[in-house]
Amino acid sequence: MKAELSPRRQVFLYGLLCILLIPFVFPTWWMVTSSVKPISDIFAFPPQLLPESYDWTTYSKVFELQPFVKQYWNSAYIAALVTIGTMVVSSMAGYAFARIKFPFANAIFMVVLLGLLIPSEVTIVPLFQMFLKAGMVNTHWPLILVPIFGAPSVFATFVMRQFFIALPVELEEAARVDGLGRFKIFRKIALPLARPALASVAIFTFLHSWNLYLEPIVFLSSADKFTLPQALTQYTDAYGGPMWNIQLAAATLTALPVLIVFIIAQKQFVEGLAHTGLKG
Amino acid sequence: MAEVTLSNVRKSYGAVDIIHGIDLGITDGEFVVLVGPSGCGKSTLLRMVAGLETITGGEVNIGGRVVNDLDPKDRDIAMVFQNYALYPHMTVATNMGFSLEHRGGSKAEIAERVKWAADILGLAPLLDRYPRQLSGGQRQRVAMGRAIVRDPKVFLFDEPLSNLDAKLRVVMRGEIKSLHQRLKTTTIYVTHDQVEAMTMADKIVVLNGGRVEQIGAPLDLYDRPANQFVAGFIGSPSMNFLTGTITPEGFSAPGILLPLPEAAHGHKDRKTVYGIRPEHFALDDSGVPAEIVLVEPMGSETQVTMKLGETLVTGVFRERVSLSPGATIRVRPELGNIHLFAADGGQRLN
Repeated sequence: MKAELSPRRQVFLYGLLCILLIPFVFPTWWMVTSSVKPISDIFAFPPQLLPESYDWTTYSKVFELQPFVKQYWNSAYIAALVTIGTMVVSSMAGYAFARIKFPFANAIFMVVLLGLLIPSEVTIVPLFQMFLKAGMVNTHWPLILVPIFGAPSVFATFVMRQFFIALPVELEEAARVDGLGRFKIFRKIALPLARPALASVAIFTFLHSWNLYLEPIVFLSSADKFTLPQALTQYTDAYGGPMWNIQLAAATLTALPVLIVFIIAQKQFVEGLAHTGLKG
Repeated sequence: MAEVTLSNVRKSYGAVDIIHGIDLGITDGEFVVLVGPSGCGKSTLLRMVAGLETITGGEVNIGGRVVNDLDPKDRDIAMVFQNYALYPHMTVATNMGFSLEHRGGSKAEIAERVKWAADILGLAPLLDRYPRQLSGGQRQRVAMGRAIVRDPKVFLFDEPLSNLDAKLRVVMRGEIKSLHQRLKTTTIYVTHDQVEAMTMADKIVVLNGGRVEQIGAPLDLYDRPANQFVAGFIGSPSMNFLTGTITPEGFSAPGILLPLPEAAHGHKDRKTVYGIRPEHFALDDSGVPAEIVLVEPMGSETQVTMKLGETLVTGVFRERVSLSPGATIRVRPELGNIHLFAADGGQRLN
């Protein structure tokens, strides 16, 4: 039974939550409002929480100064492929680690987990050399392949493994008696039941790919191949100074789909985290 | 339908032996219950028949075919699990038809078989529901429906009633029994509940520590347990045991001398365990004295915990008697129902 809070405690708690909310909401608020301010108003003192005048041309300039639609498409299709690829790889790997008995399974899993401990800055140079040899520099392949087989996928594999471990083994045994082989058990029983975990993997992976910054700036050099985080840095004036309002307009457009996806999939996201026993 | 034969079946996990060579013959259509305390190996044995556990040694034969190396799907068995193992993302109808679907049955055939099974088990109105929308008893029925829909050679039940409340357990027990009487499919049923074993089985296999203690019809086991373990395990309340010595005057237990049947005197001076079931005490003024410790009226009978000499025993009396703790009554053990076991090893002596 939930304990009822007294009105005073409720007011206090909500007040506290509102204060805690400020560091999270304020940057977004600042980004959205500044994207329609004239550049001189962005750094005005005292700061303007609401724009005194609105300059909507910033949004049209976003598309004039960069091939923004192309870059949007680049980010979207790369994130989609990475998400699908990671879901396939991590669900199969997670299932194997959770359910299939093979020699040194736990030791191999530990080795795989080590991938999470190595910062991408450490591996970026060897990766660059590898992709250079393979003729894949200034293509999107590194941005697709590295996350699918790299740290994001390791994390996703961990999430999926934890989910499959918790899945009652009797379900699989019933399926074996019903006539299913290993792969069909995975596809027909385990995978459909793993939807909450898969949803959280999808969100994590999509966000990671969408926000990827280091890899694009290392691997990509032509503007029409850029992804959005990289494109944001290109909104500069003739002297290399940032055009803040246009940059923030582009940032707002960049953040929008992620925000929408998160709002829609919030429930699965939290459920998925609950399944893994992890906190966000 | 099929015969099932286990020949010297063994199971080990590394150096630890779990099943120590079990021989068991189950005739076509027989309802056999494997019963025993937790950890006795009954579920492991069932899972070995199902093909869910590998067999370390010996042979499992279903319908005249050695199945040791066959997958569960190729053994033509159906299994009902303790937690039902219904697929949560499928409706009742899909759950029931799932195995047929994967064995290449046509849609019409599957629908017909599912309907047949649903009609037998009273599941027709629930076919479109998901397992989460069902009560425990309904889930249990769906699990049975999933098993019977395929018309397998053997049904395997792994403690299927243990998740139900006491009342529902009695109802489902009856349903499983009547289902077996209707379908006459060979059935192996695992339970730790000796009441289930007694009421359902054609034949009971009592297991203990991975070994068979006794195999027989329920009443045979009840009336003539082969050893002290079976005697204590079968029957509720369980058999009373008094340890003592057979003397020319009777059975000498601490603080009391109990009457013995004539034949028992052949074991004179032997250290023996005297076994008597609670219902085999009769109130009789010429009996032995017993001090009442606890009285539990059950309605149809009265259960009395009493001190026979220095040993606490339980008696069950059908008569409506007025008894109170602290009082002394006189009880007479029925000589025809006395069981004597060797104090060392527990083997039956009479």
